[in-house]
Amino acid sequence: MRFEIFKEFFIFFISIGVFLALWEAYYWIFIQNPFVLSPPSKVLVTFVQLIVGDPKFTETGFSMPIDMIYSLYHYLYGFFFAIIVGFSLGLIAGWSKKVEKFLYPIIELIRPIPPIAWIPIAILLLKLTHTAAAFIIFIGAVFPILLNTMYGVSSVEKKYVEAAMTLGATKTTTLLRKVIIPASMPAFFNGLRVGSGVAWMCVVAAELFGVSQYGLGYKIQLARLYHSPDVVISYMLAIGIIGLILDRLYRIAESRLIRWRRGFVVE
Amino acid sequence: MSELLQIRNIRKSFDTHEKRLLVLDGISFDVREGEFISILGPSGCGKSTLLRIIAGLEKQDEGEVLLRGKRIKGPGQDRAMVFQDYALFPWRTVLGNVLFGLEIRKIPKKEALEKAIRFIKLVGLEGFEKSYPHELSGGMRQRVALARALVCEPEILLMDEPLSALDAQTRNLMQVELVRIWNETKKTIIYVTHNIEEAVYMADRIAVLSRRPAKLLDLVEVNLERPRDRFSKEFIDLRARIFRLIQG
Repeated sequence: MRFEIFKEFFIFFISIGVFLALWEAYYWIFIQNPFVLSPPSKVLVTFVQLIVGDPKFTETGFSMPIDMIYSLYHYLYGFFFAIIVGFSLGLIAGWSKKVEKFLYPIIELIRPIPPIAWIPIAILLLKLTHTAAAFIIFIGAVFPILLNTMYGVSSVEKKYVEAAMTLGATKTTTLLRKVIIPASMPAFFNGLRVGSGVAWMCVVAAELFGVSQYGLGYKIQLARLYHSPDVVISYMLAIGIIGLILDRLYRIAESRLIRWRRGFVVE
Repeated sequence: MSELLQIRNIRKSFDTHEKRLLVLDGISFDVREGEFISILGPSGCGKSTLLRIIAGLEKQDEGEVLLRGKRIKGPGQDRAMVFQDYALFPWRTVLGNVLFGLEIRKIPKKEALEKAIRFIKLVGLEGFEKSYPHELSGGMRQRVALARALVCEPEILLMDEPLSALDAQTRNLMQVELVRIWNETKKTIIYVTHNIEEAVYMADRIAVLSRRPAKLLDLVEVNLERPRDRFSKEFIDLRARIFRLIQG
C-alpha cells in the first residue's frame, strides 16, 4: 500500500517535470526573449516574489494576495446571488410543471449566450464597478445551479413524498423542507460545483475589462501591457490553483453533507 | 368491538390509453378497533388501490371511507402506512427516519428521541440507530419502516405487502415479529397481501377479494388460537377453503 502511494507521487512528479523541462527547452531554443515568454525557472521566482510582496512588484501595484482577495470578492459576490436565484427558481420550477413551462423558453433563450457577451451591457448598465463583475459571474453560475436543482427536485421519487404524507406531512412547505430539498441535495451540489467552475472562469473575463484596479484577471492584462510574461504566467498559475482549491472544497463539503450517498451506486 | 373504519361501496377505475379499467367494483366492509384485518386477493386485483384510498393517497370514484364516522378526504396523521418497497428516506439514518413523524407533530426533542429509541427497540434494531438505509438488509429496512409508522401512534396502521420483497425465511420470521408487535401495541392493522398463508397466520379476519374488477368474495373469521401452527389441520383446511374461494 505504501509503495502504491509512492508510485503515484513518482508518476505525478515525473509528469510535471517532463512538462516543465520541455517548456524550459522550448524557451531557450526558440524564444530567448524575456518580453515574449518566460521559462518556468523565471516564472517560479516571479511567482514567489509576487506572493511575498517583493518591492520590485509592489511599487507598480502588483501584489498577488490583494488581487486574490479582490477576485475572490467578485467571485463570492456573484456566486452568492447565483445560488439564491438558481436554487429558489430551480426549486419552484422543479416542483411545479406550470412554472417550469413558463421559465423554459426564457432559460433556453438566455442560456446559450456566453457570459462574456454580457460584459458590454454590464458595463453600460452598472458602470465599471464590482457589481458589474459580479453580474457576469452571476450569469455564468446561475444556469448550472438552476438546471441541476430543477432536475434534482423533479426527479425525487414519488414514494418518498407519499411516505411523508402518510406520516403526517401534508403541507406543501413541510414536504419541500423535509423531503424535496434533502432528496435533491446531491443534484444541487453537482450544480454548485459546475457553477463554481464557470463562475471562476468568469471572474477572469470580467476583470480583464477593468471593472476594478485589482483582481487576478485585471493584472494579467496589465502585465501584458508591461511586457512581463513571467507576471502573466504567475497570475495564470494563481487562477488555476485557486480554481482547483475551490473545486476540492466543494467536493469535501459534498461528501461531508451528503454522507448518505456513499455506496449508493453500488447498491 | 366497535367499528373504527367503515368502507362503503368503493368503486374505482383507472384510465389506460386504450380503455377505462374498472378495478374496485363496490367494496364494502368494516374494520373493528384493535383487530388485525387482512385484505387478500390475487395480484393486480386492486387491493393496494383500496389501501391507498384508505390512506388518502388515491381518490375513489364512488363510495366513501369513514374513520370514526368522519369521511376520509386525504392523508392524515390518524393513518400511517408501511410500503412494499419500504420508502425509507435514504438521506436520514435509522433514528432520523423514525423521528420524522415526531418532527412533523412538533414533539419536543427530548421526548421524541426517547420515544424513537423505544420503538427502535420494539422492532429489534437497537445498535443500528446511526446506520443509513442502504447499509441495512431488506428485513431490517422493513423493521425501520414499521417503527417509523408505529412511533406516530396512528389509529390505524396500513401495510401494503410489506414482506413480499423478503426471502421465505425472513418473511416467516417477520410474520411472527409483526404479530408480537401488534400484540404489544394493540394497533388496528389493515394488512394487504396476496399470500394466503400469511393472511391466515396473522389476521383476525380476512377480506377476500376476487380477480379484477375486485368484489368482496367473503369476510373470513380466523378462529385459530395464537400462536398459530402453520401445520395444524385447521390451518391447512382454512388455507384450502380460501384458495378455492379465490379460484371460484
